[in-house]
Amino acid sequence: MEITLILEMVTASVIGAILYTIIGIAPGTDETAVLAPVTLALVLSGFEPIVILAFFISAIIAKKLTDSIPVAIAGIPGGVMSAPMVEHAMVLKKHGMPEVSIRKMASGSVIGTFIAVPMSLLLANLIIPLSDVITQYSNQIFLGGAIFLALMSKKRWVSLLSIIPFAFLIQGLRIAYWETGIVPEDVTVFTSFFLGITIGPVILKLTELLSGRVRRQLPRFGLKEIVLKKAKTEKGFPNPFKILDRKEIGTTSFSSVLGVLTFFMSPVGMTIFLGETLTSRIKDPVKKATRAISSMDGLTNAAYLSGTLIPLIAIGLPLSPTAIGPAGALFNAPPVFTPENNIHHMLSTSDFIIATVIGAIVAITITFYVTIKYAPQICAFVFRFIPHEAMLGLFFGLVIMLAFMDAGIVNVAGVLLIALVAGFLHRKGVNYGVQFMTLYAAPWLISLFLPGM
Amino acid sequence: MNKTQNRPEGGENNIEVWEDLVRIKDLVLSIAICTVITLGAYLLAPNEPPKPLIYGLIGAVVGFIISSIVVKPKRTLRFDEGGEE
Repeated sequence: MEITLILEMVTASVIGAILYTIIGIAPGTDETAVLAPVTLALVLSGFEPIVILAFFISAIIAKKLTDSIPVAIAGIPGGVMSAPMVEHAMVLKKHGMPEVSIRKMASGSVIGTFIAVPMSLLLANLIIPLSDVITQYSNQIFLGGAIFLALMSKKRWVSLLSIIPFAFLIQGLRIAYWETGIVPEDVTVFTSFFLGITIGPVILKLTELLSGRVRRQLPRFGLKEIVLKKAKTEKGFPNPFKILDRKEIGTTSFSSVLGVLTFFMSPVGMTIFLGETLTSRIKDPVKKATRAISSMDGLTNAAYLSGTLIPLIAIGLPLSPTAIGPAGALFNAPPVFTPENNIHHMLSTSDFIIATVIGAIVAITITFYVTIKYAPQICAFVFRFIPHEAMLGLFFGLVIMLAFMDAGIVNVAGVLLIALVAGFLHRKGVNYGVQFMTLYAAPWLISLFLPGM
Repeated sequence: MNKTQNRPEGGENNIEVWEDLVRIKDLVLSIAICTVITLGAYLLAPNEPPKPLIYGLIGAVVGFIISSIVVKPKRTLRFDEGGEE
């Protein structure tokens, strides 16, 4: 391999790590919304596939390391994935230990990465012989995932009931687009529907604000007071294995392994499910909280990495929620990547290992160091200068643009429709995991009822 | 993810959307700024991929920066110096 190519990969990884360290901290940033468009732009601009992979790996590790910082410091989730951790982080905050949260979470992330990278490469190689069978049954796997996650959630009957109607809404819109010729028959609108589900709860809330009666009834607040604790500065380079105690390392490693093995499941759903299950027997609230956040963070990181790497290396089709969401552009970004000719086909196994290792090392070195040392300062900057309104505006603007890009002005309405329904379902207790799995299973599920569609 | 219950007194103009406080007027303004600039940049870009997408993304960032300057965050920040432990 040429030196220039390696230098390019390192540079791309450094840029990815810095960019997504900042983005990760901003509250409410969804992984797909912030990673997919940028990766897509890089792919379409014609960078080397191996450079793009290094960038992506670095970006996703950095994002996952930092999106739990605002949770620890202010109880505001930095992304969808960190929402399940809020409850536990608030316990630590109440006990005056937000910097403990940050260190435990970041260390959990690092362990998750250490476990996920080699394990994903290994698992991918084991799966390669099975890839034909998996590809053949991917639809059943997605439907099974939706049903499983529905049964695991608190509102299981509502969740179960929502699967088929929601699939009909999604597929119905697609069929309408095909019939009217808004998009060609071989194009399946996906990205914007995905974002519609993600932004659903916010769109529902914003729509309700249009009603004066609702607006007057809403609770009003003054300014939100955030108390930042000055954390003690660590000397030297922090060691994640010293920050976590032995039990925490054990649980975190265990949940990371499970995160890799369940790479095809929705990471949010698995995080909620495993995080609660693994810690439900611990009595001491502080110990329970530290164990929960470190293992949840390890799990999300492992699930994201394996969800990207395993389908990419073994199958070449986006057969995991991560692959189909944030990493979508690595699989399908016409005209550069298509399902028949993407990173899976262009890179060799050693290319995958080199790109992943470079991305992971750069991200951990930069972001872990920065996270542990400067978390309060970065948070102070974000909280002081970045208004929540601008975040919501940015997100809204991106969704509208991507909706327009997918299928024109009609799709802007279509995405709003999906967002409203998704937001309503979310409020009734149908979690993101079930909704995303339904989105993936929709084409096949509906074809069972409407043969030929 | 429970809603926060504390209601500070005086000047209560903000509502909670997605775990943080916003003022409706500012929110409408930010959404308008971001959407118009993002979509505008996308539509004005030369029609050869990937230019519209890149213009749109740049537009989104510009919109975000402008909103951040125009709108003030609804948070107050206090540093807790000493450790309580």
